[in-house]
Amino acid sequence: MEWVETTAKTIDAAREAALDQLGVAADEAEFDVIEEPRPGLFGRVRGEARLRARVRPAQVRPKQERRRRSKSDKSDKPATSETSDSTEESSTPATSSTPKSAPPRARRQTSNKRNEEPTMTNDDRPESTVTPDEVGAAAVSFMEGLTSAFGSPAEVAVTVDGIELEVTVTGTELGLLVGPGGRTLNAVQDLARVAAQRRLGDHETRLRVDVAGYRERREAALSAFARDVAEQVRTSGTARSLEPMTSSDRKVIHDVLNEIDGVSTRSVGEDPDRRIIVDPA
Amino acid sequence: MSDVDNDAIDNDTVESDQIAPTAVAVLEHIVKSIVDDPDAVTVEVDDSGRRPTLNVRCGEGDLGRVIGRRGRTASSIRTVARAAASKDDVEIDIEFLDD
Repeated sequence: MEWVETTAKTIDAAREAALDQLGVAADEAEFDVIEEPRPGLFGRVRGEARLRARVRPAQVRPKQERRRRSKSDKSDKPATSETSDSTEESSTPATSSTPKSAPPRARRQTSNKRNEEPTMTNDDRPESTVTPDEVGAAAVSFMEGLTSAFGSPAEVAVTVDGIELEVTVTGTELGLLVGPGGRTLNAVQDLARVAAQRRLGDHETRLRVDVAGYRERREAALSAFARDVAEQVRTSGTARSLEPMTSSDRKVIHDVLNEIDGVSTRSVGEDPDRRIIVDPA
Repeated sequence: MSDVDNDAIDNDTVESDQIAPTAVAVLEHIVKSIVDDPDAVTVEVDDSGRRPTLNVRCGEGDLGRVIGRRGRTASSIRTVARAAASKDDVEIDIEFLDD
């Protein structure tokens, strides 16, 4: 799994930049703080915050733990403290106000170690034997069943490129599976990941689902829009703030505008209201 | 329902005495696809309330995965099942119950 490295004035800002680069939501990523920002005189920042981040590998929670959880919600906390810690951690913004933050660093490393531990699975399926092809086949069969339950005849195919899996669904009556703003499609993709990756105990692959070419068209439309905005910002010299977007949409915009001279991008706010600001460079 | 020219009708193979047949089929498929014990999964329509509620039950220990971290999977299931229900021309609620 690939790490990206970012620097910024605060840990918060570096973390957000990393999320944008990865194109995922905060709870899908994990972070390592490499360097804390060093405060200078009068609050001026002398050293920048540096961290690295990656998409958190998909994980199966051990079966026993799930059992325990479902039986009594009250015993939840002690039983799954590790798990809830890590979810908590990813949602808590890194403390920018307290630059001496040793605790966040420690917590991050714990969650990291946990991910690398192969002893996590006491499941009977040996995870190491799951190949990307098998995950792809499971995703295809999930999508075939789903489109047929919807009563929408469709062709489902998968392309496997290393650990990148792309499931494409084509057919004529697939609008319902995309939904307003692609919201249903995002939910469908989420469920395909649970059905294929998580159920098979796969930690490696990255799975995307596209229906009726929606993501491709969306990406093309977003790119064209981003170029328009860049042109306006360049000629007017005034920064522009865009509508809130999902992390994957923001990634498209960042990627397109990174290639264009004369503008720079940054993101502000918290999901789901996080938005891009295009500045004249 | 006589002359509504709607593609939902063409695909509707289930008789209309069942409420939300598409949503039920979709819900069943999704939940069975993500649990360890698909045979223990049942979907029941409760039509006593203001709008139909689809009650999903699954085997012991499987509810955790169906609901997911911070309810994320449950919320995705609701989104997709409600999209399916629009094909049945009804609005539905979905409840996840432990056996």
